[in-house]
Amino acid sequence: MRELLHLSSAPHDRGSLSTKTVMRDVLLALLPTAVLGIWAHGWYAGFIMLVSIAAAVVTEYLFNLATKRGNTIGDASAVVTGLLLALTLPAQVPVYVPVLGAVFAILVVKCLFGGLGHNIMNPALAGRSFLLISFGASMTGYTLDGVSAATPLAEAAAGRSVDVVAMALGNTSGVIGSSALGLLAGGIYLLLSRGITWEIPTATIGSAAAFLALFGGHGLDPAYLVPQLLGGGLLMAAFFMATDPVTGPSTTKGQLLYGALTGVLIGLFRVKGNAADSTTYAVLLANLFGNLIDELFIPVPYGFRIPKEFKKAIPKPVSILLVITLIAGAVLSGVYVTTSDRIARNSERANQAAYRSVVPGAESFRSLELAQETAGTTQIQKVLAGLDGSGQTLGYAIAVHNSQSYDGGLTLVVGILPDGTVTGIHFTELHETAGMGMRCGEPEFTRQFENVNVPAFALGKGTAGGHGTIDSVAGATVSSTAVVDAVNAALAYFAANLK
Amino acid sequence: MKANWERIYNGVVKENPAFVLMLGMCPTLAVTTSATNGLGMGLSSLVVLAVSNVVISLLRKVIPDEVRLPAYIVIVASFVTVVELLMQAYMESLYASLGIYIPLIVVNCIILGRAEAFASKNPPVLSLFDGLGMGLGFTLALTLIGAIREVLGAGSLFGYDLPGNFQPIAFFVRAPGAFLVLAVLVAAMNALGIKNRSKKLVEGCDGCCATCATGCENKKEAAQ
Amino acid sequence: MKNLILIIVSTALVNNVVLSQFLGICSFLGVSAQKKASLSLGLAVTAVLTVSSLVAALLYQYALLPLHLEYLKTIVFILVIAALVQMVEMFLKKNAHGVYQSLGIYLPLITTNCAVLGVALTNVQNGYSILESTVAGLGTAVGYTVAIVLLAAIREHIDQEAVPAPFRGAPIVLLCATLMAMAFMGFASLG
Repeated sequence: MRELLHLSSAPHDRGSLSTKTVMRDVLLALLPTAVLGIWAHGWYAGFIMLVSIAAAVVTEYLFNLATKRGNTIGDASAVVTGLLLALTLPAQVPVYVPVLGAVFAILVVKCLFGGLGHNIMNPALAGRSFLLISFGASMTGYTLDGVSAATPLAEAAAGRSVDVVAMALGNTSGVIGSSALGLLAGGIYLLLSRGITWEIPTATIGSAAAFLALFGGHGLDPAYLVPQLLGGGLLMAAFFMATDPVTGPSTTKGQLLYGALTGVLIGLFRVKGNAADSTTYAVLLANLFGNLIDELFIPVPYGFRIPKEFKKAIPKPVSILLVITLIAGAVLSGVYVTTSDRIARNSERANQAAYRSVVPGAESFRSLELAQETAGTTQIQKVLAGLDGSGQTLGYAIAVHNSQSYDGGLTLVVGILPDGTVTGIHFTELHETAGMGMRCGEPEFTRQFENVNVPAFALGKGTAGGHGTIDSVAGATVSSTAVVDAVNAALAYFAANLK
Repeated sequence: MKANWERIYNGVVKENPAFVLMLGMCPTLAVTTSATNGLGMGLSSLVVLAVSNVVISLLRKVIPDEVRLPAYIVIVASFVTVVELLMQAYMESLYASLGIYIPLIVVNCIILGRAEAFASKNPPVLSLFDGLGMGLGFTLALTLIGAIREVLGAGSLFGYDLPGNFQPIAFFVRAPGAFLVLAVLVAAMNALGIKNRSKKLVEGCDGCCATCATGCENKKEAAQ
Repeated sequence: MKNLILIIVSTALVNNVVLSQFLGICSFLGVSAQKKASLSLGLAVTAVLTVSSLVAALLYQYALLPLHLEYLKTIVFILVIAALVQMVEMFLKKNAHGVYQSLGIYLPLITTNCAVLGVALTNVQNGYSILESTVAGLGTAVGYTVAIVLLAAIREHIDQEAVPAPFRGAPIVLLCATLMAMAFMGFASLG
C-alpha cells in the first residue's frame, strides 16, 4: 500500500496489495469491534455506523461529480473513514452527528486537499474533533444500556475499580468501538496481512504506557495501567488511526519517533488535562508534527558575530520621526486632558447604576478602604457600603475583576447583605465570545446568584448539586468559571472583613 | 470625479481587502463571531481608514522614506486613541457597542497597507475615496463572514434567533471555524473570478495576493 | 517558577498567538511557503518579541505609570518595536545576508505584526511583572515559530494540482490553518 500511494516513475513493482485490498482488510479488522459494539450498545449503534458510512460515501461521490473527477468511491476508503468515525462516537448520538462529522471528514479534510493520499490529517479523527467542538454535550454523553454512566477511564481516575473483562468485550459506557478484545484482534489481523507495520502501534502503546507509568502517579500498578491501556481509544488509535500511511512518516526511525510522540501526547493529555479526548487530539497533533519528522533538520546558527560598533550619528529621518511623535503625543495629551473628566464621570455613572442594582433601596454609597486587593485570581477593585436614608448599612457592593475569563477579563459588582446573602451580580465589563461567554451576562445565568446565602458558589452540572451550585453556560466553561471565581472572591472578602 | 468612484468600486470588488488582498485578517478572524460585531468593526475601521489616508496623503511629502512605516503607525495609533477617547467621553452608548474594536484597529494591516500603497503616492481627495472604498469593502466582508458564522454557529442573525429549531454548530464561532469560513469564501471568489485572474498576472506576481502585503499596484510598478 | 512555566505553556500552546488569538496572520500566511524562511522569521520574531516585551514592560512600569501617561502606551510600544526591528534588520543585513534576502518585505513588517504589539498590550492588561512580561513575550514567540514552521512543513506536502481549482493558493492554506487550529484546541485542557 505504501508503494502504491507514492507517485513514482516506472518501473512499478506491483505487490499483491492494492488500495482496495488494504481497505478491505481494514474493514475486516474492524468487524469484530463493530459487532461487539452493536452487542453492547444495541441496534441503534449499528444504525449510526450505517449512517456514517453512507454520509461519507455520498459526500465523496457528490464531490467527485461536482468537480468532474473520476469516481473514487470504489476504493472503499470513504467506507473505512465512515466506519472509523462511527466507532468513535458515543452510542446515543442524534443522527445528524455522524452525518455532519462524516461530511466534514470527507469533504474538508480529504477531498478539498486532493483526495486519497493528500490529506494532512486523519479524516476520521478530524471529523470527531469537529463534532467535539460543535456538539460538546452530545459527544460527551456516554451511556450504557441507555443510561448515562461514567466511562471506565473516568472511573479509574476517580479511584474506583474497573471491570476489565467488560472493557475487553466493550460492554461498558463509552464510544461504540471500545471493545479492547475486538480492537486487538483487528490490529493483529492487520499486522499479519501487512496492512500496517509494527513500528507505530508498538511505539504508541509503549510510550503511552511508559509515560503513564512514570507520571500517572500510580507507578506500575496494573489496576491503573491496564484500564488506561485498554480504554480511551488508545488501541483504536494505535492500530487504526496513527497508522494511516498518508499522515505518518515512511522511514522506520521516523515511524518509531512518530509513534512515541503520539503515545507521549496521549499520556500528557490524560495526566495533565482532560482525559476524555486525549487520544483524538494527540493523534491530530502528531499528524501535524509528522510532516516535520520525515525531514528532521537541525537549524544552523546563522553565523553569530557581535557587530563591532552600534554607534552612529542620529540621522535626519529619525529626527523627523521624533518630531512627528512629539506632536502626536502633544495632541493626544491635549485630548486626554480635555476628556478625562468626562470619561471618569461616565464610568462613575455606569458604576453607580451597577451598585444600585445590587443593593436595592440604598440611597448613597460610601467607599470603604480595601483591606486586601486580591483574592485568588480575582482583583478586588472597590468595596462600598450601601446606606439608607439614616446612614444604616443596607448591604455591600463589591466590584471585582477576574482576568482568567476567555477573552481578557470581566468585571462585575456583587451585592451582599450584612447576613451574607448574595443579592445578585451586575456586569460592568464583559467581552466574551458572542453566543457563548457573553451568555454569562444574561438573566438566565445571573439569576442563579440571586438571593442565595452560601459561603461560596461552585460550578456543577445540573441541579444535583443543590444550593449554591451554578450551572455553567453551555460551551463557556472558562467564562463561567471566571464569574464564579469572581463572586467567590467577593464572598471571601466579605467573610474576612465585613462580617 | 470618475476616478473617485473608481476607487470605491476597487475597494469593494476588484481589490477587496479581505477577500482579494488578504489584508487585515487579524480582526477579520477574531471579531466576526457575529454579524453585529463584524459590522461594528467594519464601520470603525472605515472611519479610521478614510481619515488616516487623508492625513498621510497630506503629509506624504514630509515623511522621510526610511522611517515611513513607524511614522504611519504613530499617526494612525494617535488618531485611533483620539477617536477612542472622544467616543468614550461624548458618545457613550456608541462606545459601549463599538468601543472595544477601536484599539484593535491599530494593528489592522489594511490601514498601513493602504497608507503605504496608495495614500503616500496620491493626492488627498483620491486617497479619501480609496479609504472609503477599502473600508466599505472591508465592512461588507466582515459583516458577511460574521453573518455566516453567527447563523451556522449560534443560530441567530444580528442577535435575533432564527426561526426553526435547528441545532447550531458551535465549530463556526470558534477559531478553526473562522479559518474555514474565510477559506470557503475566498475559494468562492476565486471560482467566480477565475477567468479574470489569468489576464491580471504580471511579472513577479504569482496571483496569490496573500504573499503581497501591499497590493497589486506595487508589483505592476516594479514590473514596468 | 511554576507560574512562569504556566505562562510559557499557555502563551505558546493553549492560547497560541496565531491559531487561537489570530494575531500575526498576514506574515503567517505569507512567509510559510518555505520552511527555511519560516524558521528565520520565527527566530527574528522571537528576538524582537522577547526584547520588546521586556523593554515595553520596563517603560510602562518606570516611565508611563509614575507619570500617569498610560494612554501613550500604544505609541511608545510601537516606537520600541520599530527601533528593535531596525536593529535586527541591520544586524541581519550585515551578518546573514541570505536570511535578510529571503525574508524580504516581511522583516520590516514585523513592526506591524499585530502579535508583537498585541503581546505588549496584553501584558499590561494582565498586570504582569517585568519578568512575567518577558516570559510571556518569549512564550508567544515560541508559539508563533512553532505554528509557522509547522504550516511551512505542511504546505510543502500539498500537491496544488490535486486541490480543486478555486481552493488553490490562499484557501487551501487557510484550510490547513483550520485543521491546525482544531488540533491545537487539544491543548486547551492543559490550560
